[in-house]
Amino acid sequence: MSKDGEKSGWKEYIWNPRTREFMGRTASSWGLILLFYVVFYIFLAGLFALTMYVMLQTLDDYKPTWQDRLATPGMVIRPKSDETYEIVYDTRNTETWDLYAQALDKFLTPYNNSLQTEKNKECTPDEYFLQEDTGDVKNNPKRSCQFNRTILEACSGINDRYYGYQIGQPCIIIKLNRVIGMLPGKDGQAPFVTCAAKREDTDKIGEMVYFPPNGIFNLMYYPYYGKKAQVRFCIKSIANIVYNNRVANTHIAIQFVKYRTQCRLLKMSWAMFLQVNYSQPLVAVKFLNITTNEDVNIECRINATNIPIGSERDKFAGRVSFKLRINTK
Amino acid sequence: MGYGRSDSYRVATTQDKDDRSPKKKKGAKDMDDLKKEVPITEHKMSIEEVCRKYQTDIVQGLTNAKAAEYLIRDGPNALTPPPTTPEWVKFCRQLFGGFSVLLWTGAILCFLAYAIQAATEDDPSRSARSHMFDRLSLCLQLYLGIVLTAVVVITGCFSYFQEAKSSKIMESFKNMVPQQALVIREGEKVQINAEEVVGGDLVEVKGGDRIPADIRVVSAHGCKVDNSSLTGESEPQSRSPDCTHDNPLETRNIAFFSTNCVEGTARGIVICTGDNTVMGRIATLTSGLETGKTPIAKEIEHFIHIITGVAVFLGLTFFILAIVLGYSWLEAVIFLIGIIVANVPEGLLATVTVCLTLTAKRMAKKNCLVKNLEAVETLGSTSTICSDKTGTLTQNRMTVAHMWFDNQIHEADTTEDQSGASFDKSSITWISLARVAALCNRAQFKAGQDQLPILKRDVAGDASESALLKCIELSCGSVRAMRDRNKKVAEIPFNSTNKYQLSVHETEDLNDNRYLLVMKGAPERVLECCSTILVQGKEQPLDEELKEAFQNAYMELGGLGERVLGFCHVLLPEDQYPKGFAFDTDDVNFQTKDLCFVGLMSMIDPPRAAVPDAVGKCRSAGIKVIMVTGDHPITAKAIAKGVGIISEGNETVEDIAARLNIPVSQVNPRDAKACVCHGTDLKDLSQDQMDDILRNHTEIVFARTSPQQKLIIVEGCQRLGAIVAVTGDGVNDSPALKKADIGVAMGISGSDVSKQAADMILLDDNFASIVTGVEEGRLIFDNLKKSIAYTLTSNIPEITPFLLFIIVNIPLPLGTITILCIDLGTDMVPAISLAYEAAESDIMKRQPRNPFRDKLVNERLISIAYGQIVTAGFALGGFFAYFVILAENGFLPTTLVGIRLNWDDRSCNDLEDTYGQQWTYEQRKIVEFTCHTAFFVSIVVVQWADVIICKTRRNSVFQQGMRNKILIFGLFEETALAAFLSYCPGMDVALRMYPLKPSWWFCAFPYSFLIFVYDEVRKLLIRRNPGGWVERETYY
Repeated sequence: MSKDGEKSGWKEYIWNPRTREFMGRTASSWGLILLFYVVFYIFLAGLFALTMYVMLQTLDDYKPTWQDRLATPGMVIRPKSDETYEIVYDTRNTETWDLYAQALDKFLTPYNNSLQTEKNKECTPDEYFLQEDTGDVKNNPKRSCQFNRTILEACSGINDRYYGYQIGQPCIIIKLNRVIGMLPGKDGQAPFVTCAAKREDTDKIGEMVYFPPNGIFNLMYYPYYGKKAQVRFCIKSIANIVYNNRVANTHIAIQFVKYRTQCRLLKMSWAMFLQVNYSQPLVAVKFLNITTNEDVNIECRINATNIPIGSERDKFAGRVSFKLRINTK
Repeated sequence: MGYGRSDSYRVATTQDKDDRSPKKKKGAKDMDDLKKEVPITEHKMSIEEVCRKYQTDIVQGLTNAKAAEYLIRDGPNALTPPPTTPEWVKFCRQLFGGFSVLLWTGAILCFLAYAIQAATEDDPSRSARSHMFDRLSLCLQLYLGIVLTAVVVITGCFSYFQEAKSSKIMESFKNMVPQQALVIREGEKVQINAEEVVGGDLVEVKGGDRIPADIRVVSAHGCKVDNSSLTGESEPQSRSPDCTHDNPLETRNIAFFSTNCVEGTARGIVICTGDNTVMGRIATLTSGLETGKTPIAKEIEHFIHIITGVAVFLGLTFFILAIVLGYSWLEAVIFLIGIIVANVPEGLLATVTVCLTLTAKRMAKKNCLVKNLEAVETLGSTSTICSDKTGTLTQNRMTVAHMWFDNQIHEADTTEDQSGASFDKSSITWISLARVAALCNRAQFKAGQDQLPILKRDVAGDASESALLKCIELSCGSVRAMRDRNKKVAEIPFNSTNKYQLSVHETEDLNDNRYLLVMKGAPERVLECCSTILVQGKEQPLDEELKEAFQNAYMELGGLGERVLGFCHVLLPEDQYPKGFAFDTDDVNFQTKDLCFVGLMSMIDPPRAAVPDAVGKCRSAGIKVIMVTGDHPITAKAIAKGVGIISEGNETVEDIAARLNIPVSQVNPRDAKACVCHGTDLKDLSQDQMDDILRNHTEIVFARTSPQQKLIIVEGCQRLGAIVAVTGDGVNDSPALKKADIGVAMGISGSDVSKQAADMILLDDNFASIVTGVEEGRLIFDNLKKSIAYTLTSNIPEITPFLLFIIVNIPLPLGTITILCIDLGTDMVPAISLAYEAAESDIMKRQPRNPFRDKLVNERLISIAYGQIVTAGFALGGFFAYFVILAENGFLPTTLVGIRLNWDDRSCNDLEDTYGQQWTYEQRKIVEFTCHTAFFVSIVVVQWADVIICKTRRNSVFQQGMRNKILIFGLFEETALAAFLSYCPGMDVALRMYPLKPSWWFCAFPYSFLIFVYDEVRKLLIRRNPGGWVERETYY
């Protein structure tokens, strides 16, 4: 094993023809040590798999063990440019805002009234849509309430294909992150979104209109019961994989396998893909006369008595900030 | 005095008349020149010639003008201090030496990676992926770089101050009082600074003075000098104006710089000053010697090679993998750097330094002062000890060892604490002998030492007389009182013609008006003066039988290497010498024949009490002890036998020859295990013959060796692959001390030069401390192995998260901060505590380690640390905790694979987990950091088991026990620290560590238990099958 500290022995160390040693070991010695490591690692892998298996058995299928980090749900806006929360465009340059319109189109497709009526139930507004399990019998799959695109009215993109972007009255769509079992609002008071400009920009923001009125998330969309409980069917459309998930090309394969597995678990054909039927409620904000040619920093917040104000560090928990700049000259 | 010793040959330092070169030549030739001999010829010149040469006058001395001129020409009379390394150089050496290089390289790589990324940061063409990666590794690299730098600097400062402390103690040894010299210039005696003495100066020295320069004696009165620090001879040498030997070191008419004048006075002409003196040449030789790296430095270098090898191998593997996986070149390079840097064990440098410091402190407590931290371990690796005799093995104090009276040899107690055997003191002969020894003795205790034990008291006078004085004082009470009772009437001091000393005293009995004549001297001379002998208190005629008995005793004692003195007395008849008789000592008018022989007393510089035991321990520890002395072969051999350097029953060639009664040349040298080698023979030996001696004899004594030869002997041992320790106290030892792998000087008796040259100083001059040193050195080597094994095991699990992050695109399981918390936080105390670990077996019973084979860090340690314990415990335990936390928060392992890009995308604030919930960037990052914390805690949990595993290398922990309190403290400390880092409010902001749910602490428990069981089984197999496959593959 030892190199014996001789420099001239390097060549001999690699291959010693006398003792037939490669790197200081004979073939059988190499074989033995490699065999040992193979067996050893197989044993370890087995052990690791075992502990992982045991751990996975302790998990609930429908609800994660801990949700304390999600006490304040995140808020997200659409459209979203690639990396930043900045919406900057020039009304005179169609290309600059057409992107946003397309993104919103794509985003709102699942909310088309036809799809919604097909998939989801029409519920009683202003009260939680509870679908409790009775004891061990799971009340699955759970239904979801319709969120028709038309609720967004002027921001639905049905009448105004460009969501007001071309005339300097852009729509921003706001959604609240899904958290299993979360019941926002209290005493029948639905959570609602308010947007305001940041300090120095207050006089620039102008008038805003919220859709649905007052910017509320209706109580009937809560609670969310989780992906597994609210699964309804697998559809045969690869385009839907991209639903709500921006996947880098290299990872399509992984996603593919994942969905396939989940479909199999639900005893469906592997060629069909999982479709989640829950429709997240949205709020749209339309800026009617925002100051143009200047940066306007806007912050939107969720207002619900039982949602704690998120930590200072997290800029997206219970609020969302973005910059809006509309160039006209 | 010098009776009974005729073999005063200082052959090694031969004379070379042609090569008189007082001016220093520069360059390598100078070194060889210094190694040769002493070019002094003045001793063979007549006084007039010497005067002429230095243009001085034998009465008036130099003129002031001349002296000033010489002073300018030759420089001050002082040794050039060894080129002291400036403090900043020392500091830099600490900062950039050895292990630090690895960390510096790491730090530089970090900054490099940071720079690369910072430069490409603004590159608009970068992809989303590289942007994400940039941000992440940017701070990672910068953090690491800064921390690595900080670690090196702090550790550097630490060891610098540690060594500075030692050197401060060194400073205190230096004699700060400027030396004075009495010179005669322009006919007047002036006291000047010794530094101002120049060649040609006429100087006067008296007992107690230090000789200010090399001087040619022109007149002397009973002058004796102590040359022990220069030549190793324990007896003071008398000085006279006559040239007695060709060799300047042997001749009587030269006294050497910095030796001490013990008694008498002398006047001489300065012939050499400063660096040209014999002492100066040795000092220059010493400071010019190159010393090699310490064994531990070599080991650390080897370790760095291995670590670098592993790091580069891993780095390149993953570099290639990254390229294959489709990362860009730049990213791959940054991965490469990241992996290499992650392999650097940040905490190890500090651990090693602290371990060495702790040992150094522990040794200092046991009176071993370590000047150079790395030398702490060297003694442990030592395979040969070359020990000086005088002052190291012996007490450097003549002591009465044997007495012969009543036709019988009696043994005196020579131990330092008077614990040895006593003899029958009731004999009348003994009383007479004691009286002669007490009266015919000019030595006396210096005043004001009544409280001190007799042996510790200072004595004014010759070494032999002091020995007698102490011996009599010990056995018969106050010598002064005895002398008061027997008033001295007349005295003939010792001279080399008579070779005896006599004095005449009044008797104790006031009614007895006779005078008592007492005489002592060279036994054969004393016997010539005697006609009767005292046996059992009765005077008997000295017949042939008794004479033979005397001869035998004399031979026997002489053969023991002892200096023998004869004693006789006579009560002068009152009729011839009535009261008031005027004794004339110049023209002897009284009886000096027909005296009554009383007995013999023999003296030796006895071995220190602890030495034989220590030598025995060294032996059983496989260390060869060689005696290298300037003293005479007989004395050397006697002491060697006395302390066990030549063990009982082992014979030298000469012994065999004497036993078999055949000439020495007929004895097969292979038969003799022991060997006494004379300096004369050594000079003629070729290198091969020298190697032959060192290889084939286990017990070697080198006698009459010059400083240069000591050096050659050390080099010879080193050539044979031995790690050599040299112990010595004299200037003559210092070249060897410097050349040795570890030089050990004596703190009390040692000369400044030797202390300068040494790496370690025995503050109590006790050779036995060396054994402690060896033990501590071996222990720290073993324990460093354990510390390194411990530290390295947490090193790989710190890399694996990064590797998986790259390969399977999962969120990073362990962050840089947590890695640093492990390396520089929780790991430190347990790693250091291993330095306190007790030895597993009797480390003093095994052979010294083979520097070529027994490495500090070997492949097996790496294999164990990286391949087995790590994967088993750390990586898996940590990953398990990581997966548990993510799964319990909603991210099942299946979702995690490939999630990394979105996970690390700051703009993605609605990332979906397995359950369909959506997470903002910050929310999932908190979970990720909680995972880091859990991974960290898991490592701590597995480190519990690991530190217990690392406690032992062969024994089971159940055999070894948990007696190491520091280690237990370390276990609690690391746990407390981990809990603190996790739960202390504010840690989330400061270090991004988050509180863990209690259950997460237990994730790694099974793995912790697993590695413990695994390793216990491994050790069991090692113990069960010594030399078996398990031991060959896994014993580190």
